[in-house]
This record gives sequence, C-alpha cells and structure tokens, in this order.
Amino acid sequence: MNPRPTPPPTPSDRPGDRPRWWALPPCWVELFAAGNLGFLALDIFVAHSMNDFARPTEWIPFAYSVAAPPLLALCWLIQGRVRPHLADDRPPGLPPWRASFARGLGLGIGLAGVVVGVSGVVFHLQSHFFREQTLHNLVYTAPFAAPLSYAGLGLIVVLNRLERGSTLEYARWVVLLAMGGFLGNFALSLADHAQNGFFHPAEWIPVVSAAYAVGALVAVAAFPGSRSTWFLAAAVMLLQVVVGLLGFVYHLVPNLRGPMPTLWESFVFGAPAFAPLLFADLALLAGLGLWAVALARPEVLRRRSPEPGVSPAS
Amino acid sequence: MSFRGVFIAVFLGTAMIVAAFMVNSRRPLPEGRRMTPALVKATGRCAQCHEHETGAVVHEFEMSEHAAAGLTCLDCHRPLEGQEVLPHQGFEIARDVTSLNCAGCHKDQYDQYLRSRHAAPSWAAVTGVEDFTADQVAFAEQHHPGWVDREANALATLEGPAAITKGCQKCHDIGKPNKDGSIGTCTSCHARHVASVELARTPQTCGQCHMGPDHSQIEIYNESKHGVLFHAQRHLMDLTADPKTLSAEDMPVPTCSTCHMSGIGDRLEPTHDPGERLSYFLFADVSDRRKDFRKAQVNMKASCLECHTNNSIIEFYREAESVVKSTNSLVKQARDVIDGLRQDGLLTPEPFDEPIEFAYFDLWHYYGRTAKHGAFMGGADFVQWHGFYELVNKLAEIRHQADELRGEGLTDESPSDAAADAE
Repeated sequence: MNPRPTPPPTPSDRPGDRPRWWALPPCWVELFAAGNLGFLALDIFVAHSMNDFARPTEWIPFAYSVAAPPLLALCWLIQGRVRPHLADDRPPGLPPWRASFARGLGLGIGLAGVVVGVSGVVFHLQSHFFREQTLHNLVYTAPFAAPLSYAGLGLIVVLNRLERGSTLEYARWVVLLAMGGFLGNFALSLADHAQNGFFHPAEWIPVVSAAYAVGALVAVAAFPGSRSTWFLAAAVMLLQVVVGLLGFVYHLVPNLRGPMPTLWESFVFGAPAFAPLLFADLALLAGLGLWAVALARPEVLRRRSPEPGVSPAS
Repeated sequence: MSFRGVFIAVFLGTAMIVAAFMVNSRRPLPEGRRMTPALVKATGRCAQCHEHETGAVVHEFEMSEHAAAGLTCLDCHRPLEGQEVLPHQGFEIARDVTSLNCAGCHKDQYDQYLRSRHAAPSWAAVTGVEDFTADQVAFAEQHHPGWVDREANALATLEGPAAITKGCQKCHDIGKPNKDGSIGTCTSCHARHVASVELARTPQTCGQCHMGPDHSQIEIYNESKHGVLFHAQRHLMDLTADPKTLSAEDMPVPTCSTCHMSGIGDRLEPTHDPGERLSYFLFADVSDRRKDFRKAQVNMKASCLECHTNNSIIEFYREAESVVKSTNSLVKQARDVIDGLRQDGLLTPEPFDEPIEFAYFDLWHYYGRTAKHGAFMGGADFVQWHGFYELVNKLAEIRHQADELRGEGLTDESPSDAAADAE
C-alpha cells in the first residue's frame, strides 16, 4: 500500500479560488466540442455529396452539425459562462432556472449527438460487410465507424455537464474519449489506405501513429500518475499533430492536381482532405485531457526524487 | 520512476500495428498489388453505387471469369491512348469501352478477329469504306480484297437510315471502327460484364445475327443432328471449359464455335477468325474457293475428326461441294438472264429499281445461300425445300419476268410456263 497517497483534488467553485476561464480544461473541451460539431457540417456535406445525398436521412447529421454549435453558444449565454454548471452547482447571481435550463439544453444537445452517431452507424451498416463478412467487404464498405465522431462529441458535451472538470475522473474520460477517436483513426486509415493497396509506403504512417496514440492514451488512463507515461503520451500527441499536418498536405496536393473537371469534384471524390487533420484535432483533445490529468495529479509534472520503494505514480 | 505505463503504451501500439500488417497480408494479392491506386480502389468502390443503380451489371461481373481472376472494373474501363476520358465519381474512365481495352490482355484473339470478316468487312458491307482510316483499309484489303474499299450497300441505302441504324448495324457493328483506332467490340459475342466464353459457345449467340432467310445458320443448326443433340444434352456439357484444354469430354456435341473457332486437343489451335476453317465463299452469289482453300478445309476436317471417320468426312464434303456446284449453276442461269436484259437496255443500270432485280436478289441471297449452308451444316430440309425448290421456283419467275420485259410473254404463244421450263 502506498504510504503517501496522492491527496484527492479539492473541487472548488468559490469565486476567490476560481482561476480564469482560459485556465480550465472544461472550457476548452466545451469549445473543442462546439468547434468540431460546426466543422463536421462541412465535412459531412462533402462526404454525403459523394452520393449526392441520395437518402433524405443523410441530411440529419448535417442539420445537427449546423444547429448544435449555435445551441451550445445559447447555453453559454444562458448560463453566463462557457464552462457548464453541474447539477449541484448553485452559481451566485444567476437565477437557478438558467443554470438548470442551460444544463438540460446542453445535455439534450450531447445526447442528440450520441443518437445521431449511433443511428449513423446503423444506417452505414447496410454496407457490404454486414451482408458478407470478408476482408474485401471490410475494406470497401462504407465507413461505418465514422458517424461515431458525433457520438464522441456528444459524449464530450454530456461529460462536461456530468463530471466536475477538476477531478481525475473527468481527466480520464477526456483521455479515453480522445483514445476512442484515435482508435477510429486507426481503423479508418487502415481501411481507407487499404483501398489504395498502401500504394505509397507513407500511407502506413497514420496507421502506426494512431496505434501508438491509442497505446499511450490507454496507458495514461490506466496510470494517470505516471510521469513517464504522461510525457510519452504528450510526445506522441505532438507527433500526431505533425502526422495530421503532413497527411493534410498529402491529401490536398493530389486533389489540387486531380483529374476531375472541377475542384469541388476533386475534393468530393478525391482523397478526404480534412481526414488527416483529425489526428491534430484529437491530439488537441488528448492534450486537454493530459492537461486535466496534470491538474488533477500535479505530481506528474513536478520534479522530485522518489523515495526508495515508492512510486510517485502509484 | 515507473515505466509500466510506457510499457503498456508501446506494447499495445505495437500489437495493433502487427495486427494491421497481418490483416493486410491476408488480402488477396490481386486486390492489393495492382499498378495504380485507382485500380486497387476500383475493386470495391464501383460496386458501392452500381449495385444500386445498375445492379445487374455488378452481378454479371461477379459471375465472370474476370472477377474470379481478380480484375477490377477499372481494368476494362480505364481510358487507353486515343480514348475519350470521362471523369466519373473520382475515377477516370473511358467513355466507350472497345476491343482496344480487351486487346490489352487478349492481343492474339484481337489480332485474329481483326483478320476476320467479322472485323472491317462486316461494317463496310453496310456503310462502305468511309468510316475507316487509310491504315485500316490497307490492312483489311490484304485479307479481304475488295470487301472494305467499296461503296455503301445499295439495298441499305434504298431502305434508308432508320433501317440501317436499327436493323443492319445492330449486327454489322461487330466490325464498327472505333474512335480510338480499334475495330469492333468483343461484347457482340461475349457480352459485356459477364465476358463469357460459355456465352460465345452457345449457338443462340451466333444466332443473334446468323439467322433469317439470308443466312439461316441457326435454323439449319437447330434442324441438324448437331443441334438436336446439343439441345438434348446441353446439361451434360461444360461450355465453360478452358479453350486451351477443351476436349470432346467437355463438349461431346459441337456448337458453332466448336467447329469454326475452338481448339481441339493437339490437332487444332483456337482462333477468333471463323474464316480460317471455311473453304468456300458461301455467302457470295456464285461461290468460289477461298484463298487458303486446302488449309481451311484441313482445319475444319480436323475438328470433324473428333467425332467422324475420315471416309465419312470426305463423303460429306463431296456431297456438299456438289450442292455448291449445282447452286452456282442455277444462280449463273438467273444471272445470265439479268445480264442479258441489262445489255439489251431493258433494265436500268441502277440496282433495286425493278422487280426482277429483287427476284434475282432473293434467288441467290436467300435460297442459294440457304441451300449451300444447309449442305455444309447438315440441314437437309434447308438444302432442298428452303433451298433448291425455291431456287428453281425463283428462276422460273425470273425467266417469266424477263419474257414479259422482252414483250414475249404478252402474246402468250407458248403452250404453258411448265412446257417452257421443261424445254
């Protein structure tokens, strides 16, 4: 048993103790979710343009992406700040109904995201793979995991309203959600690049990169107090940013030189230009998670000599 | 400092990468190792839309040998030099898939076809020489002198563009020149997405065009012992057998392709020039021997030998050649009548503007051909009732019309037509 356990963080929302909003991970996580939901509107518009929005249901994620960010902004206006209130918060100077209404609206937006994401998976399940389970069909099937990005963002919005941002539990959830994103990146980059037969060896980079991102984030979630793990994860996340930007260039250039009659068609039918940026994007979320971990377990950033037989991470 | 987390991170990441490599290595080789990313991608992407929009096309392809060999849609649909490029859903495809695309893998077969009458002579028979390039004309004229560098078909011109487009060209486009410099489409016999050898070996495929009064091969085949046996034993035959190893065990009964195109054991190489085994120009009004008469007949007899003795084959040919001679004799008699009328100024130089010209055309184009084809294909009824009977009937009609044109028939001094014919 550890004779010197790390003291649990002391949640506090007292005005005197509160740091500025920009020093709190939940604010950035909230902005991250809103920004990503907004950007998904463009992404999903391009993706579903590939089959010309053949089914009316394909408009649902687009409509959700367009509506969600302004609604979240409305929540912020109602609650008087970006960081959501929790159920037991009694913010001074704010009528109770406003806090609870904003929280309810935010939870609704988040849960709607989960519904949109899970429904999207179900709709994508009409793909070949689910009729005949072969590697061929797995590779060429519609991206059935892609809609889970809505579910992931929805869960982030929900998390921000259920868990206090200063707790280790919150930090772990953020790290795990980022890990889930990288797991999706691993599967999608593997399947998408398999469609090219990994023609260019560089197409393995995102697969390898996403695999180590998953490993690093799982390790952080499992050992949040481990200094070495934290720094490894931070380094791996920095690498994800590089991979994301590199991938963006690799995807962009062929589209600009593409054979399609218009630039729009090159982007609709060519390499998905925004997809690699998801690496940098998820690295940002993971970074927020690591930041939250560091706030909850300050020893991971503190230099100190461990006593014999005592692990600072334990 | 604990490295448990680092170990977990590295172990998990490495395990995922190894798993990814293992999964990728299990993919079928043709799927992953093709010449371009677009070719690999097309393996599965095309079907995503086309199974909804033109589902039969995808299904036909899935049944094909091409699919079994791991070809993708783009293997056939990618644009080659000289072909118009159509940007399509992220791919560049050829606006028209032609024999040039097939020739990429089946060059020998295309070259054989190019020498055949199925190629340029077929199209020129309707539209004349105008659609061909000088090189194409020069090549075709080497093999079929006078059959490509020629005028458009007079009868087709008379019938008009509607008949030509919806009628003549639907069969004769087997030799249509393409914009990319190639000629024809292999799909006339093999169909498009199923690209089937079995289909090409089915008599009905040839019968799409080789039917009707002017070239009634399918009707003759169906009447022949070959055809009767085929329809009775179709279910016992393997029409999908590899052309390189095809034997009488696969197809104990011949179809059109067996005798005219297939390879038989070590004796006969397969060919896509059906003329290689034909010894006479049976389609002509007066049939002559072909250039490589001996060689062609030896080739055809080699296929006959698979089932028949040499003596019976020689006897069969002797009888069939006697039909050619008799038919030629009757056609020449009719032709002499027409030529005489023309020399005497009783017919205009233009073709198909007088009833007697149609009668003569019917005589050789329908009945002469039918008698000759019937003789070489074992269709007894077509030799006699649909052939010779009609030949003599038409010849009598032509003579009667000629007499009328000369004014001899008007006084009706002769006792009867029958007496005149007997004389």
